[in-house]
Amino acid sequence: MMTTTLPVMMPAMAEIFLAAAGMALLMYGVFTQRDGQSEGTAWGTIVAMLVAAGLVIIYGGPVAGEPAFYGQFATGHFTQFAKVLILVGAAVAVWMSVRYMRAESSNRFEFPVLVLFATIGMLVMVSANDLIALYMGIELQSLSLYVIASIRRDSLRATEAGLKYFVLGAVSSGMLLYACSLIYGFSGTTQFAGLATVLTGEATPLGLIVGLVFLISGLAFKISAVPFHMWTPDVYEGAPTPVTALFAVAPKIAAVCLILRTMMGPFGGLIADWQQVITLISIASMVLGAIAAIQQTNLKRLMAYSSIGHMGFALVGVAAGNQAGAQAVLIYMAIYLFMNVGTFAVILSMRKEGRYVENIADLAGLNKSHPLMALAMLIFMFSMAGIPPLAGFFSKWYVFFAAIEAGLFGLAVIGVLASVVGAFYYIRIIKVMYFDEAEAPLDSKISREMRIIMGFTAVVSLLFFILPAPVVDQAAAAAQTLFTN
Amino acid sequence: MLYAIVFLPLLGALIAGFFGRLLGDRGAQVVTCGFMLVSMVLGWIAFQDVALAGNARTVELFTWLSSGDLQASWALKFDTLTAVMVIVVTTVSAMVHVYSIGYMSHDHSIPRFMAYLSFFTFAMLMLVTADNLIQMFFGWEGVGVASYLLIGFWFHKPTANAAAIKAFLVNRVGDFGFALGIFGTFLLFDTIHLDTIFQMVASKQNVSISFLGGEFHALTVLCLLLFIGAMGKSAQLGLHTWLPDAMEGPTPVSALIHAATMVTAGVFMVARLSPMMEYSETALAVITIVGAATAFFAATIGMTQTDIKRVIAYSTCSQLGYMFFALGVSAYSAAIFHLMTHAFFKALLFLGAGSVIHAMSDEQDMRKMGGIYRKIPFTYAMMWIGSLALAGVPFFAGFYSKDMILEAAYAAQSNLGYFAFWMGIAAALMTAFYSWRLLIVTFHGSPRASAEVMSHVHESPLVMTIPLLVLAVGAVFAGWLGYNTFVGDGMDAFWGSAILVLEGHNTVKAAHHVPTWVKLLPIFVGIAGIALAYWIYMLRPGTADKIVAAFRPVCSFFLNKWYFDELYDWLFVRPALRLGRIFWKTGDGDIIDGYGPDGVSAAARFLAGRAAVLQSGYVYHYAFAMLIGVVVILSWYLIFHGG
Amino acid sequence: MIQALVFYLFATVTVLSAVMVVTSRNPVHSVLFLILAFFNAAALFLLMGAEFIAMMLVVVYVGAVAVLFLFVVMMLDINFTALRQGFQTYLPIGLLIGVVLFVEILISLGAWSIGPEMIAAASAPTPAPADVSNTKAIGKLLYTQYVLLFQISGLILLVAMIGAIVLTLRQRPGVLRQTISEQVSRRPADVVSLVDVNKGEGV
Repeated sequence: MMTTTLPVMMPAMAEIFLAAAGMALLMYGVFTQRDGQSEGTAWGTIVAMLVAAGLVIIYGGPVAGEPAFYGQFATGHFTQFAKVLILVGAAVAVWMSVRYMRAESSNRFEFPVLVLFATIGMLVMVSANDLIALYMGIELQSLSLYVIASIRRDSLRATEAGLKYFVLGAVSSGMLLYACSLIYGFSGTTQFAGLATVLTGEATPLGLIVGLVFLISGLAFKISAVPFHMWTPDVYEGAPTPVTALFAVAPKIAAVCLILRTMMGPFGGLIADWQQVITLISIASMVLGAIAAIQQTNLKRLMAYSSIGHMGFALVGVAAGNQAGAQAVLIYMAIYLFMNVGTFAVILSMRKEGRYVENIADLAGLNKSHPLMALAMLIFMFSMAGIPPLAGFFSKWYVFFAAIEAGLFGLAVIGVLASVVGAFYYIRIIKVMYFDEAEAPLDSKISREMRIIMGFTAVVSLLFFILPAPVVDQAAAAAQTLFTN
Repeated sequence: MLYAIVFLPLLGALIAGFFGRLLGDRGAQVVTCGFMLVSMVLGWIAFQDVALAGNARTVELFTWLSSGDLQASWALKFDTLTAVMVIVVTTVSAMVHVYSIGYMSHDHSIPRFMAYLSFFTFAMLMLVTADNLIQMFFGWEGVGVASYLLIGFWFHKPTANAAAIKAFLVNRVGDFGFALGIFGTFLLFDTIHLDTIFQMVASKQNVSISFLGGEFHALTVLCLLLFIGAMGKSAQLGLHTWLPDAMEGPTPVSALIHAATMVTAGVFMVARLSPMMEYSETALAVITIVGAATAFFAATIGMTQTDIKRVIAYSTCSQLGYMFFALGVSAYSAAIFHLMTHAFFKALLFLGAGSVIHAMSDEQDMRKMGGIYRKIPFTYAMMWIGSLALAGVPFFAGFYSKDMILEAAYAAQSNLGYFAFWMGIAAALMTAFYSWRLLIVTFHGSPRASAEVMSHVHESPLVMTIPLLVLAVGAVFAGWLGYNTFVGDGMDAFWGSAILVLEGHNTVKAAHHVPTWVKLLPIFVGIAGIALAYWIYMLRPGTADKIVAAFRPVCSFFLNKWYFDELYDWLFVRPALRLGRIFWKTGDGDIIDGYGPDGVSAAARFLAGRAAVLQSGYVYHYAFAMLIGVVVILSWYLIFHGG
Repeated sequence: MIQALVFYLFATVTVLSAVMVVTSRNPVHSVLFLILAFFNAAALFLLMGAEFIAMMLVVVYVGAVAVLFLFVVMMLDINFTALRQGFQTYLPIGLLIGVVLFVEILISLGAWSIGPEMIAAASAPTPAPADVSNTKAIGKLLYTQYVLLFQISGLILLVAMIGAIVLTLRQRPGVLRQTISEQVSRRPADVVSLVDVNKGEGV
């Protein structure tokens, strides 16, 4: 009789806890379900996510000795950093959804539970140490997100968005699987550690490169980088706004961190091969993000293009392929989280006569009716445009610096140019808020949680430059773990 | 004390900005002006201590950025160069603050205006006291944002809006150069701390970098990139188009930002980086050419404009050109000297013009003024002093500094120096001409305004005239007082290590030994210009029209600002559109966009339209795009890397 | 020799029926061809000695998935000619992309070779085939080495279930339902009340 010991599970404590909490909340939801009473599950989800963040900090650190789950689950400073960002982003997104869902009378208790499961998927993605685990994480996350996108099933726009997302997501999943099979076929292993030893960059078989290209394509879909971005504007516009806020933040962080880990880790030896592909995608995203956003009239569509552009900038750091690049990407994502959450809090506070509105023109005259909200939005927009001394300037600064350190001058130059052009549409929003006259002002009442979120994120974006050390140091420690083993 | 100089304006801005409603208009004015005046007094004390007593020092606030090799702190670097800038900034700013109380008295949002002004001052002080490049960039962008907010202050005017956005975008082009320059500097020196860089420059003077297949002298590339930043901020030829439009802002803003302080930031930056600039002959040559060309070019336009503020704006542009070619021939001290005197007399002219506009019920067109010198004698006198200083009439401030610059250019003894000298002489003639044209057309002749306006013409209140008086004192005496210390015998002791001039570049010293005709020529052309203007506009009032008629092509060329806006349209916008039709994906249009400031919105909107067409909404289009993407990447890889 | 022959037979039929799935005009035929392709694929697995996976393929894909497809196709009234209208316009570009991609993959596959370290890496987690049966080997790996993935698969299925319910289940008001527990727990005392009614009066 063969005896087996249990796998090392403590490092995955947060994920296990979340999964258990998810099922418990599901049961709770089913049994207490009365007409539109989902707030209990929503609050439960938020608490579970915050507890999970704590567990990540306590247990999710580097492991000495036996690796978790037979080496399929990687932990360390890097995953801790990414997971905390994801959990915070997801928790805030759920928090922002509570009131919206009640107002739109579409509060289903499944929504927070699905967000929770999607979050588990993201955490698994970040920790994936095996191509299969990577795929599983992505599927868990994506499947939940497909459903979430069309959670308002009576709205034609939402269902269409969900369907589009699903079909295209399936295409990208196909690419990913194809990539995994090619890589496995040409290297003989799916484990990241094994891949890292096999792939040294010398005499790489062509098929492996093909697999790598497919892998990057599949992952690029998840961060909506050009030319795999087409779904983003439609889904962002079609989905309910809190869902869009979630989409813009947590999955992006997870996927970017995943790309970072995959490229630097198992495929680190092939940097000469993937660097150009990433560079190409990055340039295309930055340029398209800057240009296409200009003509948008819908704020959520605009945010979609903005996030495409931002992903392009984040990829600049990935393309750099060095430790400074990894650190820059992590800082970028952290700041991106704050700016985006804040912006969506503003969008979610835009109501006219009780109805949510989402056009840029609806912001007109905001300075008169809500001076503080206008100020917060001004900070977010300037920050996204990368204007010092706001936080967004630093995030761009770090990635460009990393690119220059890696000798990618052309990429850095194009990046700076794209940020200059991109500044135009952010400034247009500011112009609308401050200089245009409103036809009908927005409702004066802004809920407490939105005010808290807006205020906090605005202060962070504004004052980041005074004390960037906490984020920068953590990111540095996180980036280091990618390069030491 | 040094902290207080920099942070008092910020405190004022915060108080006025956030508690403006509580304080009311009067409270906001008192707070910001009070802090500003204290800051000014402290600035003068610091000048005495730092520059005259020679106690240059750097005070560190706290460590700020630390990631890998990139170390930076918030620190205030006070040396002579900074001290000079600090007194200029604080003094002019304090005067403008006080003046604004009167000028903006009818406005609805006074606290906001005062807060912006104070914030601007803070950013400007941050810029001049920076001890590393990032902090300087901070101040640099801060003044940019403040200027955007102030130009667009009267946001109900669409032209003000457009001008604000234009200024912002053109400046972004310059900033882009500056940012790349900083990146490059870090790459070359591994630090962005100014003093460390300056120590290392000599050891890096032969380093070259390869970029896009060519080898370039590293320092030259860096200096040129940084100079692009300076060109944007200081409205030099090519990136000057925003400055005249910026006159849409309130007049005190024009005086503070677009005459005395912000636009001189470029001059300051080049002087601050003199240890780098000195090692690149090419960069210095470019600076000289651009400066001289701007001085000439802006002066020609200044002769034909009819808007009183635009005349002064082009004059500013032209004077900045003087400063730049002074920098180009290594006469840094002369440039800063001119910067200081110019700040006083140009702020005086602007505020004087503001006083005129105020008196004429917000009329800016000179053709609708005239015959008012008896009604506002004080303003008239102030404008005379400002114009005398601007034209370089002996013993006024501008005379000392401008002559010094011209002499230094001549003393450079190079073709470029002579080119700059003659351009400068020509510009000096035109300067004198348009200054007196302005004076005569505005104040003399028969009144051309309506009777109702004329009946309201009145002298401005004391709160506006006192700042004028203070600035007038500066415009009269600054040159005479500063000559010896700034560019004369006392200059070595005065500047200390704040600026570096290599042996053989010392044109300021050489300037004292140029032939006598060189020294006299500027005075002569100045007087000639005045006489010409007097003859044309005062004695023979019809002559101007005849001249215009006779030289119609030339005049309309000047009047339309050398067709620069049209040129940009033709050069950047149209090709961008054409290219965009063919290669919208390749990003060509985008790059051209970035360079064609006037065309940004038009071209980008077009491209955005193209992008929107692709965003059709059909799933199979999207799926196709994804697959095509994969295939393209893969094929590209296979073709160029051959497996 | 025979093994190779059989392999090529099954492989050819698999590919051909896959082509027919896409091209046949009648959707029911497409599904039937799909089932044929599954069967052949199962046979290919059998040839490799992977009998467990072969059976799974038949049971799950043929028995459940494909039959479900068949139901859906037959029950839904989909106008397939309308769906095909875009087909002609996009055929050339689609073909072009397909061919280019195919050639590129062929080129890369041509360079395929198995190094010794690959064999070592690939066989690392699996026990020697002679020791254990197919099913047991999978089971051993699935519940130890790959337990994480197994659990995540469970979560994915849960999410799929929740998703299906969220998106399709509608509780219509006013529809009569039988609730057994309510029926059983009904007591006469709760629902029946005896009332004394006097003669000549209503209740």
